[in-house]
Amino acid sequence: MTAILELTNIYLKDNEVERLKDINITIKYGEKIALLGKSGSGKTTLLKIANGSLIPNHGTVLYKGTNINKLIQKQRTQIGTFWQDLRLIDELTVGQNINTGALGRHGFVWAIANLIASIERKKCEECLKVVELPKSLLNKNVNKLSFGQKARVSIARLLRQKSTLLLADEPLSCLDPKQSKRLLKKLLQLHEIDFNYIPSTCIISLHQPKYIKYFSRVIGIKDGIKIFDKSADDIDFNLINKLYV
Amino acid sequence: MFSIKNIKFSQPILCLLPSLVLIPVSINIVKDIHLDGLSIIYNFIAASIQPSTDYNVISNSLNQIQITIAVALFSWSISIFLGFFLSLASSYNIYKLLGIPKLIAVFIRRTLALLRSIHELIWGIIFLQIFGLAPWIAILSIIIPYSSLLARIFSEQIDSIDLSKIIAIQKTGAKNIQVLITFLIPKIMPLISSYGFYRLECAIRGATLLGVFGLGGIGTELQLATSSLNFNEMWTSIWLLFIVIFILEQIVHILQQPSLIKNKTGQFSIGIILLLLCTCGLSLVWLKYIGIDFSFPETIHLVQIPSIVNILLALKNLSWIKLFSDTLLITIIASLLATGIPPLLLLISHNKIVEIFLSVIWTLCRLFPPPLTSLLILLFSKPSLYVAALALGIQNIGVLGRLLKESIGKQNNKLYNVLKANGSNPKISWLYGKFAPQSNTYLIYSIYRADIILRETVVVGVVGGVGLGWQLQESLSSFAWEEVFLITLAFITITLMGEYIGEILQKQIQHTNKDK
Amino acid sequence: MLKLKNFLFFIICVILLPIYEKSNSKEVFIISAIPDQYPEKLNRLYTILSDELSESLNIDVEYKPVINYQAAVSAFRTGSLDLVWFGGLTGVQARLQKPGAIVLAQRDIDRAFHSVFIANTKAKIKPIRDIKDLKVLKGKRFTFGSESSTSGRLMPQYFLNKANVKLTDFKGSRPGFSGSHDATIALVQSGSYEAGVLNEQVWIDSINSGRANKKDIFVIWRTPAYSDYHWLAQPSLDQKFGKGFTNRLQKSIIGLKKTNPRQKKILELFSAKSFVKAHAYQYEDIEFIGRKLGKIR
Repeated sequence: MTAILELTNIYLKDNEVERLKDINITIKYGEKIALLGKSGSGKTTLLKIANGSLIPNHGTVLYKGTNINKLIQKQRTQIGTFWQDLRLIDELTVGQNINTGALGRHGFVWAIANLIASIERKKCEECLKVVELPKSLLNKNVNKLSFGQKARVSIARLLRQKSTLLLADEPLSCLDPKQSKRLLKKLLQLHEIDFNYIPSTCIISLHQPKYIKYFSRVIGIKDGIKIFDKSADDIDFNLINKLYV
Repeated sequence: MFSIKNIKFSQPILCLLPSLVLIPVSINIVKDIHLDGLSIIYNFIAASIQPSTDYNVISNSLNQIQITIAVALFSWSISIFLGFFLSLASSYNIYKLLGIPKLIAVFIRRTLALLRSIHELIWGIIFLQIFGLAPWIAILSIIIPYSSLLARIFSEQIDSIDLSKIIAIQKTGAKNIQVLITFLIPKIMPLISSYGFYRLECAIRGATLLGVFGLGGIGTELQLATSSLNFNEMWTSIWLLFIVIFILEQIVHILQQPSLIKNKTGQFSIGIILLLLCTCGLSLVWLKYIGIDFSFPETIHLVQIPSIVNILLALKNLSWIKLFSDTLLITIIASLLATGIPPLLLLISHNKIVEIFLSVIWTLCRLFPPPLTSLLILLFSKPSLYVAALALGIQNIGVLGRLLKESIGKQNNKLYNVLKANGSNPKISWLYGKFAPQSNTYLIYSIYRADIILRETVVVGVVGGVGLGWQLQESLSSFAWEEVFLITLAFITITLMGEYIGEILQKQIQHTNKDK
Repeated sequence: MLKLKNFLFFIICVILLPIYEKSNSKEVFIISAIPDQYPEKLNRLYTILSDELSESLNIDVEYKPVINYQAAVSAFRTGSLDLVWFGGLTGVQARLQKPGAIVLAQRDIDRAFHSVFIANTKAKIKPIRDIKDLKVLKGKRFTFGSESSTSGRLMPQYFLNKANVKLTDFKGSRPGFSGSHDATIALVQSGSYEAGVLNEQVWIDSINSGRANKKDIFVIWRTPAYSDYHWLAQPSLDQKFGKGFTNRLQKSIIGLKKTNPRQKKILELFSAKSFVKAHAYQYEDIEFIGRKLGKIR
């Protein structure tokens, strides 16, 4: 199988602090990767570099062989990101926010229509259903929701994008344990649901090592250095504990 | 032990304290009052309840007010569109989004600040010199400062959008234009419906003022009636304007209902845009119908550019220190009056009837162009700096009074009721329960207002016989272009400085507020 | 969504429509005057005059009111006004800014025009004989007319200077500027100002019409004579309205006779017996004084 995302020799220095040093990762189609590491280890930075919103001092990021920042619009829609700070638009409703995920596949008029009426309700409702939110929320203003609900709306927006590659930065951090397990399984396509918007390839950063059994591959980062990069079956807890020392 | 250091003024007191300036102002005005003038005051007030109902006067006023309103509506709607596009061109976020160097935005911002600092009246005078008598110079004189002011307000709003959110949407593969629409419309539209509509009243006042200086409309009518001391006719025009502003306020009030925007940002925005487009189109048709000629002049008449020697000579001849200090003093006194009096009046009495009466007074205060107010004051007092300051102060009392009334009206009564239930005296409960929560916003707005007052001194100096405004009029009537040039430059300098100082003061107040 | 697009397009068309509709107007002869008196009177006067000129010259004539003196001068300079009734000072200012402008005519009374200093009876000012006695005005509330008025400011200020009365000698250390001759009468009569100065012709009219009441207000001094108001025409009128137009215009103004009822009315409203030819040289004194007092640069 060919690589979908290639990170080569990534090096980033910010305010005289070395955030990432010589990271090399190659991701193939269909891989499910867990990104582990304690807070401040560089997970968020790495994911931002991977989606092109942060440019490293050295190194390259290639999506299907093309530089991540030189992608055409259509290719960009294939990369979905879950941002840790959610980044929803406060002034809009839940439905409108979810629809912003699909802007890339539509035109100018659609963008205006989205602001005027609640369009494509069906699709939004399906996305809401996956994240276990009631469809009554659809017309509610997004800033009226709790943080946990907002996080799930943000995931719903991501699903609406119909991307092939998912880069998710701690999507489970504000959900209760049962919910997060169900949602994670859905995102990893382990949970059979009637929904075909789930990305086939993903990198998800987590704080819960117990979930790594659902993934195919695990990458551990500490102080900006890749400590290990192994198949999920080869991971033992000593290795993981090294990350949190 | 009591010491000066122990005195720490809280914000509600800081708002009331400026009203102390009433003491020197009234002393100075009253000491020059002469008894013969009192009969004129009496005539003036008596005429307010018996405006001229002569058919000719009313039909003429109705014709003239149409010009004023049509000019105001047209220039206002154009300013909003123009302001919006200029705000795009001057907001840093847009430049980051599109990846264009920020330097261009800085340049546009500076230019806009310059355009803004010149009062519409000065623009009118400049255009009159270049293009001759043409109705559209009034429109242009309003559009230029208004659109650059709106551009500033809008671009501040655009820059308050979290850039990371923009990136988040951009990275889903959305086109820039889509991202802009999705972010800007919900951010800007509510602002247009609040601040933008507020500017409409300002535009009407601006159009009236330009009329006072000979560009036609109800302002001309007012000026003529006042200068021939025909108070009954003057009040006909004033009450007509009052009715217009009142109707307008009601419409704006309806448009600003929160339930209108709630979850219907898009529909609301389309509505507002259509409303603006229709206003623009209909007012243009209206202007045409009234017979306002829009043909562009075939020739442009450049004023002879004054030589450097002449400019230097004028620089030496004018007594700049006095001009500047007079102008600043007018600004300070007028700002203090405008800040202190509305809360003071409300503190003294705030039952329902008084409140209604006061809001009529606020509107009337706003309606009188300051040059006319000072002309009226001059009928019973002598020309002085205080007259100019009082005239400017009165108009701005109207502006701040309305603002205070609205913001107090919007907040809930919980605190007030608690205090009243505790058995506090109603004045005290009003001060603590209703005014105190608003005092911070009120103070910040007052400082912003002082900026505007500084710009407006140009208007009253003309009648009060003091400050840069007076010198401008005198130089203009002698057609001394080098002096006109220098005075305009001086105005630009002090307004830009005033804006800068205002920003610092505002930050300070916000800062002390955070400390608490 | 297409509907929305069409609708927006329609709206934009509606807006642009009036702009593209070009009005093809005939050349109109535009007359105006400095606003030195009650606007109602000016309106009445110039409407009749427009009709008269329109008939005698066979062109469309329009009266465009202007609200202040500088606007009249500037509008003349920019060519917005074809023929303007100027005061002495404003006429000179306009001629200096528009070289070649033609002094057409003046009233019989303008050759030797006077200003009068007036006072309120309560002000306890006595009529004076000698110009030097103008110093009785020191310390009084005093008002001029408009800043650019010849008879309401320039000449009076010149005579005050001669009598050694400075503008800072008045009460409040500055004089007022009422804006017009009529306003000066009203303000002095009401007592707002103790004394003032204005154009003699307006004064006589006000006394005759009863607007000024001799019980409240009286003349303290009449100035020596000087040249004042005149008609000033654009230099390019012949090109615009045909050869010899300026001459025909001058003839029809000078030709106004008391025998014709409408022309009689015009002359009455102008307070004149007739119009006579005027010449630029008559205003050399005004220019000299204007320069001396800084009103002409």
